[in-house]
Amino acid sequence: MSGSKPDILWSPHHPDRYVICDSELGLYRIGPAGSAETKAGTLPLSEDTAATLLAINSDTPYMKCVAWYPKHEPECLLAVGQANGRVVLTSLGQSHNSKCKELIGKEFIPKHARQCNTLAWNPHDSNWLAAGLDKHRADFSVLIWDISRQFSPDTSVAADKIRLSAVDVDSGSVVTKPLYELGQNDACLSLCWLPQDQKLLLAGMHRNLAIFDLRNISQKTFVNTKAIQGVTVDPHFHDRVASFFEGQVAIWDLRKFEKPVLTLTEQPKPLTKVAWCPTRTGLLATLTRDSNVIRLYDMQHTPTPIGDETEPTIIERSVRPCDSQLGSFAWHPSAQNRMVAVSAANRVMTDFTVFERISLAWSSTASLTWACGRHLAIEKDIATKMRQRAQLRYGHDTTQVWRNHLLAGGDDPQLKSLWYNLFYILFECTEDPELKLQGNKHALVYSGIKDIVKVSSGGPEVDAEPFLRSLEQGREWQRAAAVALFNLDIRRAIQLLHKGATTDKGDLNLSVVAMALSGYTDERNSLWREMCSSLRSQLRNPYLLVMFAFLTSEPAAYDGVLYESSVAVRDRVAFACMFLNDTQLPRYIDKLTNELQGAGNLEGILLTGLTRDGVDLMESYVDRTGDVQTASFCMLKGSPGDVVKDPRVQCWIENYRHLLDAWRFWHKRAEFDIHRGKLDPSSKPLAQVFVSCNFCGKSISYSCSSVPHQGRGFSQYGVSGSPTKSKVTSCPGCRKPLPRCALCLMNMGTPVSNCPGSGKSDDKGDLTRENKLAQFNNWFTWCHNCRHGGHAGHMLSWFRDHTECPVSACTCKCMQLDTTGNLVPSDGI
Amino acid sequence: MDLHILDHRLRVTSISKNGLVNYTHPLIKLIFLRNRTRCKFFSLTETPENYTVVLDEEGFKELQPSEHLQVEGSIWLPLNVVSNGNVSSSSQAVGVTKIAKSVIAPLAEQHVSVFMLSTYQTDFILVREKDLAVVVSTLKEEFNIFREVAGESVPEHGQDAHNGLHKNGKEAIQCTVHPVLIPQNQFCVMSLDPETLPSIATTLIDVLFYSNSPKEDVTPAAAPVQELDRIKFPADLLFTSSSGELWRMVRIGGQPLGFDECGIVAQISRPLADSDISAYYISTFSFDHALVSRGSPHLPLLRGGDALVVGVPSS
Repeated sequence: MSGSKPDILWSPHHPDRYVICDSELGLYRIGPAGSAETKAGTLPLSEDTAATLLAINSDTPYMKCVAWYPKHEPECLLAVGQANGRVVLTSLGQSHNSKCKELIGKEFIPKHARQCNTLAWNPHDSNWLAAGLDKHRADFSVLIWDISRQFSPDTSVAADKIRLSAVDVDSGSVVTKPLYELGQNDACLSLCWLPQDQKLLLAGMHRNLAIFDLRNISQKTFVNTKAIQGVTVDPHFHDRVASFFEGQVAIWDLRKFEKPVLTLTEQPKPLTKVAWCPTRTGLLATLTRDSNVIRLYDMQHTPTPIGDETEPTIIERSVRPCDSQLGSFAWHPSAQNRMVAVSAANRVMTDFTVFERISLAWSSTASLTWACGRHLAIEKDIATKMRQRAQLRYGHDTTQVWRNHLLAGGDDPQLKSLWYNLFYILFECTEDPELKLQGNKHALVYSGIKDIVKVSSGGPEVDAEPFLRSLEQGREWQRAAAVALFNLDIRRAIQLLHKGATTDKGDLNLSVVAMALSGYTDERNSLWREMCSSLRSQLRNPYLLVMFAFLTSEPAAYDGVLYESSVAVRDRVAFACMFLNDTQLPRYIDKLTNELQGAGNLEGILLTGLTRDGVDLMESYVDRTGDVQTASFCMLKGSPGDVVKDPRVQCWIENYRHLLDAWRFWHKRAEFDIHRGKLDPSSKPLAQVFVSCNFCGKSISYSCSSVPHQGRGFSQYGVSGSPTKSKVTSCPGCRKPLPRCALCLMNMGTPVSNCPGSGKSDDKGDLTRENKLAQFNNWFTWCHNCRHGGHAGHMLSWFRDHTECPVSACTCKCMQLDTTGNLVPSDGI
Repeated sequence: MDLHILDHRLRVTSISKNGLVNYTHPLIKLIFLRNRTRCKFFSLTETPENYTVVLDEEGFKELQPSEHLQVEGSIWLPLNVVSNGNVSSSSQAVGVTKIAKSVIAPLAEQHVSVFMLSTYQTDFILVREKDLAVVVSTLKEEFNIFREVAGESVPEHGQDAHNGLHKNGKEAIQCTVHPVLIPQNQFCVMSLDPETLPSIATTLIDVLFYSNSPKEDVTPAAAPVQELDRIKFPADLLFTSSSGELWRMVRIGGQPLGFDECGIVAQISRPLADSDISAYYISTFSFDHALVSRGSPHLPLLRGGDALVVGVPSS
């Protein structure tokens, strides 16, 4: 600490103050960089923080060690240990209040002068200050001072006091009698109070670590070791202590104090500081001489040493707060993993936060979770989003199509634009019989543009006012102003901007823009035009940008508006329709379409519609995002049959179905299939399972189902509400009775009246559920192995409690044969 | 209590008064430029007769043999007593007094010659390497004996005690009563932080090489210095007791004592220990010196003991 060795101490109670001590004490306050109070005197510590020097204290020369008073009051009271062994209380940047005044300047003088190596305030009784001194043949090396003790002239030693300078005695602020004296004829290099008890002091003595118990000072626990420097207790684990010797750190467990529980890899250079992180358990930072890295040892997974002889694994890594060689560092007392480091020379300080190691985990539902320090984040992968959206029935709103973007979460502007566009297209298609069957691009583009022209920009015959009102309600001031301007109503535009500036939480800059706008002149070479065209690039809002681009543009050259990609496609298309001529317009639309297709921007569906071009666009969207869900629903929805046949579309749909299966969203998958079947009848699957009569071999559903070969009949068998069919218990082909249910022993076809095993689901309250179950309860079910079976409801309740076949002589473990039988759908019903 | 045999192999030498000029260069190097030499133990004591230099073999290589350099033939090993905290702190006496009964007297009985070097921090008892076996066997009852090897303390067990006892059969030399001399000048015992050594180097050089004062002693971390010279030193840099004790010197021996006679230290320290009086004890090439508190009633005690005091007024 003398001269070349600076050290840092954080204030124990002010999270923004610290002291650097080298030849003098400097108190700094740390604050955000570039704040309003940035003055010439601030020193940058990092990109975000800077330090201001608040006070300097150079009253105490020959400083060897410093310790900060641990209590709130008096704040900023420091104990300084000097080269001659004296301990002085001093303060920094304090208006000396009365409480503090008595203490400041107080000196504690050992009988024999020698260097003071270390100081430690007692955490329980803040009047106790322990000082560790070098060896003297006739004196003690650990002195515990009571700072509240007054100087009392001791007559027996008064004669010896002649050496004390007159000033010292006069001020009455000198204490020469310690409360406790420990470690005779020994040297003390480091000290630390044990948090367990006020009277336990751990000291690094010459060649041993000793625990002094002040309740009985003739006794001490000690262990011979060289690692006696820098003893420090882990703040999170009070039995764990670190100390070091030259390049080696030893970690001790006070419950098993005979030898270190572990020693860390030896560094080539001697260590200068070892400190536990106060905000994270088991993280130890070490610094060696002439080094620009701080080594961190993560002992997070250290098992307790009881009965565990194997050395625990330690994760070791280095951080480099700055390029220069480090003199010292200090952990911030409360901010997580934060430290300030000071360079060995020139007192260059760096505010630095150790980046925590990241741990990753996949959940069973394929969402990715990662933890960093105390932050836990769940990565919103597209799969996670799709899963959530599937649960919200995204895509299933077939009438109010635009609502699907709300089901998707309502936070994706592209999806919003997509579903609104689809809504308008479908709406217009159904409204306009001419367009109803035309799926070609031209018709849809035309429809889209016409639609937007009508709504957003309106010719002279269409009033834009209702649209402007709706934008006003949505607080889209800039967009409203731009629309008004494009309708050549500059007065209305200015009024809208002004309104935007004056409403609460409005942006005051808007009135400045309004002012600039009001200066518009169509004079070609005016200063206004020149300045606006050069300064407009600094505007952030795209709508303000295009307003000035429009006003300063050459006639019929509107590239500044048309190719401003942050402006919504529909607004640009509307603009193009108003201001481009018949040759420019198709060219622009083609160019824009290609651009949006390439980017996979769903806003482009406005231009392409759900055509083959739309599939191309959707393809690049899926390539970019992987969102097969939106692609499936979207392509199923509006597009004609041949588009759905496109192998890419089929691929998306199949992938989405697989995804739902993989999530065990079987009900959702079924819903999707039904939904799909409605929109694309060709996708309905053919029957795959038939129940045939044991005797004649004919399908028992064949003759009773009115829909031949659809295979759906068998599920309707016995289910239908018709009383004649419900009584059928024999094969419709050969009239032989159907097999019996293994449980109720009734012939199949008999409706399950009172399921013996389904008592739990017999609750009267849930009638709809009961009805559904009743239908399914009558189904045929059988084991593919032993061929025993019966009513589905009976089988379900049997296998809820058993694994073996219900037929008494059969030992088939039917339930265990079914790998998916024990899986439960994760989406409920 | 622990007894540490330190990891130094020491030589005891003497430089004559007028031969000092030939050795200024190595001495300054050994004292002030500690990073230029591998010498780990160095002590220089000036007496009116000569300069006594005690240093390890690395340091000894720096001293060129000449007619002005006298060298005691043996290798000496420093011993150091460490009270491991389990000693009751009732006795305020320390240093040679504390170990008088436990170390000095038993060694004297076994006719082991000792060379004492007291410093501000601690007391070193130098014994000849060949006597080590005797020392260990004599003291192992009372002490845990450790030998320091490359910074580690290794427990030492006496190997063949009987051999040692026979070798040291020097019963012929009887304890003689030596005259003691108590000059009037007073001494102040000080110490300094090695880091601050450069800042008082010029003062030290002045005191060491250009003064005619009768006695000074410099060891790397401890420096008993004549009181008059103390004024020259900046007070902040030097460590001393807060009460500013001053010490009087007692010189033992009328004729040069030599290195073979045993029991001299015991002779002086026993009465001091009996009365619980602290003292520094510094052996030099020719004589032994004890420092006791100034003006204390201790001097008559010595007179009443075995020693004969010859008072000589200081110049």
